[in-house]
Amino acid sequence: MNRALYAAATGMAAQQQNLDVIADNLANADVAGFKSAQATFEAIGGDESLGTASAGVHRIFAQGKLMKTGGAFDVAIDGNGFFRVERDGREAYTRAGSFSRAADGTLRNPDGWTLHGVHIPANAVDVTVAPNGRVTATLDTHVGVSVGQIRLASFVAPEKLRPLGSALFTATSESGVPRNVVAGAEHQARIAFGMLEKSNVSTIESMMAILAAQRAYEANAKGVQAADEMLRIANNLHRS
Amino acid sequence: MDGIDLMATAMRAAQARLDVSASNLANVSSDGFQKHVAHVALTGSGLVASSVRDDAAPPLRHTGRALDIAVAGTGAFFVRDAAGNTFAERSASLERNARGELIDTRGRTLVGTHGAIVASADATIDTEGVVRDGGSIVGRIAARGASLESGFLAGTTVDGMHEMVDVLAAQRAFETAQKTLSALDEERLKDADDVARVKA
Repeated sequence: MNRALYAAATGMAAQQQNLDVIADNLANADVAGFKSAQATFEAIGGDESLGTASAGVHRIFAQGKLMKTGGAFDVAIDGNGFFRVERDGREAYTRAGSFSRAADGTLRNPDGWTLHGVHIPANAVDVTVAPNGRVTATLDTHVGVSVGQIRLASFVAPEKLRPLGSALFTATSESGVPRNVVAGAEHQARIAFGMLEKSNVSTIESMMAILAAQRAYEANAKGVQAADEMLRIANNLHRS
Repeated sequence: MDGIDLMATAMRAAQARLDVSASNLANVSSDGFQKHVAHVALTGSGLVASSVRDDAAPPLRHTGRALDIAVAGTGAFFVRDAAGNTFAERSASLERNARGELIDTRGRTLVGTHGAIVASADATIDTEGVVRDGGSIVGRIAARGASLESGFLAGTTVDGMHEMVDVLAAQRAFETAQKTLSALDEERLKDADDVARVKA
């Protein structure tokens, strides 16, 4: 077996996968609440030098920057935790807080997922959300009437959540069950009203990573070429 | 051992050098990977290639994530898989499992001086491996002669440029050996012809 040929080929496959992950990050760089992913690799074969293989893709749940949007029902989480949303009786978790008021008084995100625990009456105006998640509104002449409580869920192992879309997740047995977080309490997340959390993708870092991946792919392709060329030379040993 | 046999061992040695370089290149994105170096030696049985791992410590790469840890200089910390096997590591991006224990990205449990370490996502790790969570000490990472850096991962010691040069050198060495072998072969063929002519 020509080890060099296969080792170089594993390197090409690894860089292809690396690029896939970086491209997905870049594509979602402008998606509120998106969390970047990173592909990791490890050597295979120990001292045999057989090349590389994927050691998995893991998601990085670092905080994204909060940006002021002025959206009437935009909320962002400053700290750990997720908004609880539901659709068709299914619960999911997201950090994308771009909600709008539906006809039935619930708050929904653009994909139709309803924010848990909030119901805004038709005559409510001046809806605000406190850092602890309490939603208040002015009803007719009554100021500061509570119309709901945004509850956050946290997970022991958020990295093990299963992604449903670019910024939506469901619980798995490995992530643990969702636990309620009291927003605004000491050392806990706060809810920022009128803000959205930007993705935690660094465009510049991603561009650099693409350049590095491309060059690494090229180097491995040259490795394949060299191994192939040597096979050709070896075959030329025999001249009739 | 005649010239042809010697050149054949030279070709095999060049192939082995390429094997090592190709595998190094393949691992240019593998965190914590230490490159292998091929050595070719002339022995009684021709040229023999061997490869050893270069023990130079991989450079650290800043990530800023508190639960990314890397060994500065020499040493290691340990992770244990579900079957109870322990592995020495130089770098890990720590996460938590459903029980709240610190694990690496492959689900292996980080070994503490008193078993697995249970900590929150906000835990911090100092250079001694002491894990603090909300101001109190929750555990200490069992490390061997190591100073730990939090917020860093180990990169790789593979230098792409260097490996490309090695690939080229191996390829040319292979080619040279092949050409010499062919020339010797031709000489031998000529000798055989001459011998045949003298006889005739």
